[in-house]
Amino acid sequence: MSRWRSIRLVARREIIERGRSRGFVLSVAFTTLLVIASMIVPSILFRDDGETMVGVVEPSPAGLVAVLEASGTAIGRTMVIVPYPDDTSADAALAAGEVPLVVRVPADLSTSGEIRFQERVDDTLVHLVTSSVIGLRMSTLLTESGIPPAELVAVQESPTVVTIVDVAERDDSTFLLANIGAVLILVGVFGFGFTVLTGVVEEKQSRVVEVVLATVRARDLLMGKVLGIGILGLVQLLVFVLAALVTASVTGEFGLPTITPGMVILLVIWFVLGYALYATALGFLGALASRMEEASNASTPVTVIAMVSYFVAIFAVTNDPAGLVAQVATYLPVSAPFVVPLRAAFDAIGPIEIVLSMAVTLAGIWVLFTIGARIYAGAVLQSASRMRIRDAWRAAGE
Amino acid sequence: MLELIDLAKRYGPVVALDGATFTAAPGRILGFLGPNGAGKTTAMRCIFGLARPDRGEVRWDGRPVDRDTRLRFGYMPEQRGLYPRMRVGEQVSYFAQQHGLTRRDADAAATRWLERLGLADRSRAKLEELSHGNQQRVQLAVALVHEPELLVLDEPFSGLDPIGTATMSEVIRERTAAGVGVVFSSHQLDLVEDLCEDVVIIARGRIVAEDTIDALRIGSGRRHLEVEVVGSGASWLDGYTSVTVLARDGDRVKLLVDASVDLDGLLVRARAAGEVIRFAYQPPRLSELFMEAVTTTTTDTPGAAA
Repeated sequence: MSRWRSIRLVARREIIERGRSRGFVLSVAFTTLLVIASMIVPSILFRDDGETMVGVVEPSPAGLVAVLEASGTAIGRTMVIVPYPDDTSADAALAAGEVPLVVRVPADLSTSGEIRFQERVDDTLVHLVTSSVIGLRMSTLLTESGIPPAELVAVQESPTVVTIVDVAERDDSTFLLANIGAVLILVGVFGFGFTVLTGVVEEKQSRVVEVVLATVRARDLLMGKVLGIGILGLVQLLVFVLAALVTASVTGEFGLPTITPGMVILLVIWFVLGYALYATALGFLGALASRMEEASNASTPVTVIAMVSYFVAIFAVTNDPAGLVAQVATYLPVSAPFVVPLRAAFDAIGPIEIVLSMAVTLAGIWVLFTIGARIYAGAVLQSASRMRIRDAWRAAGE
Repeated sequence: MLELIDLAKRYGPVVALDGATFTAAPGRILGFLGPNGAGKTTAMRCIFGLARPDRGEVRWDGRPVDRDTRLRFGYMPEQRGLYPRMRVGEQVSYFAQQHGLTRRDADAAATRWLERLGLADRSRAKLEELSHGNQQRVQLAVALVHEPELLVLDEPFSGLDPIGTATMSEVIRERTAAGVGVVFSSHQLDLVEDLCEDVVIIARGRIVAEDTIDALRIGSGRRHLEVEVVGSGASWLDGYTSVTVLARDGDRVKLLVDASVDLDGLLVRARAAGEVIRFAYQPPRLSELFMEAVTTTTTDTPGAAA
């Protein structure tokens, strides 16, 4: 029988057994709900879909609506003008929260009128409406003085806004996306990496490993396990991303970072690489223990390395995505899965660097797996309470 | 034909195997006996590559055993172990597939064996929901499901109730009749005596006896003799040194005699003392052969008793 079939059978068993366990189904359902909720709730609470409602008390001056809409467009907002027949109904709408403000300007523009808020004054809107009213009154006055309307339009043009240094886009949404990516990878490493660890300990503890290894190579068992649980992890990640995308498209855009397909693919690749590396390490460390408590002790170094890598990514790299720390961390297999997607989100890494970093990480995984599989083989059949790596290495090699 | 050739294995200062050599033939049941710690489990683990011998090798039909060969072996380890939360039917089928059966054949074989072992209705239950005895049956099903050419069972009878023991014996006999070679270890020597034709006795990592039970009996220097001479107790034996009195109950005496003892002469002597109403000559029991073999290892060379 081919080794591949043997590995596939191990992986399949892991997928079926864990995939239908209540724990896995619940955790997928829970995280999916969490994603959807975390996207829908803010969009309901802090509805910011680029639309601004403005109440206008009729009769209003001719051209006010057009000017308000135009000034809104200038700052990237769609102004939705809601007309009200009188002050009473306008105030009622204000009190009911239907509109954030009401503009009342006499139709003949004899006074500059009022901008009414319920409680809190929104400065941006005040400026916007104020400049619209002033502009409208000036235009009317100047038109009456015989100045050609075309010239009036020309002088009302806003100044162009420029920055001297053209920094790559680095707004909050990119940061948010990059952080979500790093967290997802951390969750993948810990959640599913530790599933591998517990799986290895359980097999050793229940002694079933003796029956399995009578036919399956230790190396293939470890690989099948890492593969199977990894596929489950990937399924959870994809459900997660899909839920986010669907929710985003259903609720419409509400200022969430634009998720590009390239970003998703990169995230998935690094999720897989990060998981493979850490799950392999946790897998063979688990084989050294004979009980669960020992296993978590044995895994401490891996946990620390993963946490340090995560924090390097979150602090050092977001602080200076092209700096020395970021560049070094890109070529360390332990930190690359956290660092590279972040740098990519900041547009601070080229495709060649990404490919090179993947190659280094893959090589790291291969080396770790080769060493790890031997330690695993040497340790998993021993029932000594706590094995040392050196003894396990020797046990497998003699 | 399974051959273990000159297997040696040390665990640190502990010598588990010290040049053990024996063979197991197809269609025969081999009882693999030895005191605790003699090396039985290590030898069995060497067959499955679970322990790597420091020296020597395991052969099947004249060729070194590799992974593909082992797929045709069935194994029941001493420390039983299966996946506690996996369903029984799927579990048995999984191991069948790992031995090379297609999923379909594996499912069918699993169903067949669970039925054979009286577990048909528990196929969808999780292993941990089964009683200890039924878990043992599942373990046996896992060892048998792929129709192995060689069965290696480490203490298959330990923890079984009389019904389980009967089923196990029946299955072992049935498999042997189908041409399968069976090697099993046990401390229940009465069972071994009932079941086996061949025995191998191991002590301190060396094989101290290897033969059919009958041959071992004939080869043994000891015989049991039960004699009852009316009214004379054991006095008729006075002055006779080549027998040992094991027990005495009135006129009935149990004697341990050397194989070289002149039975005719002994009978004449008994008759001279009184009416002989019992003169039963018995070959030694397996337990005695066992004790004899393992206690004399210091002077024996490996295989010398065979």
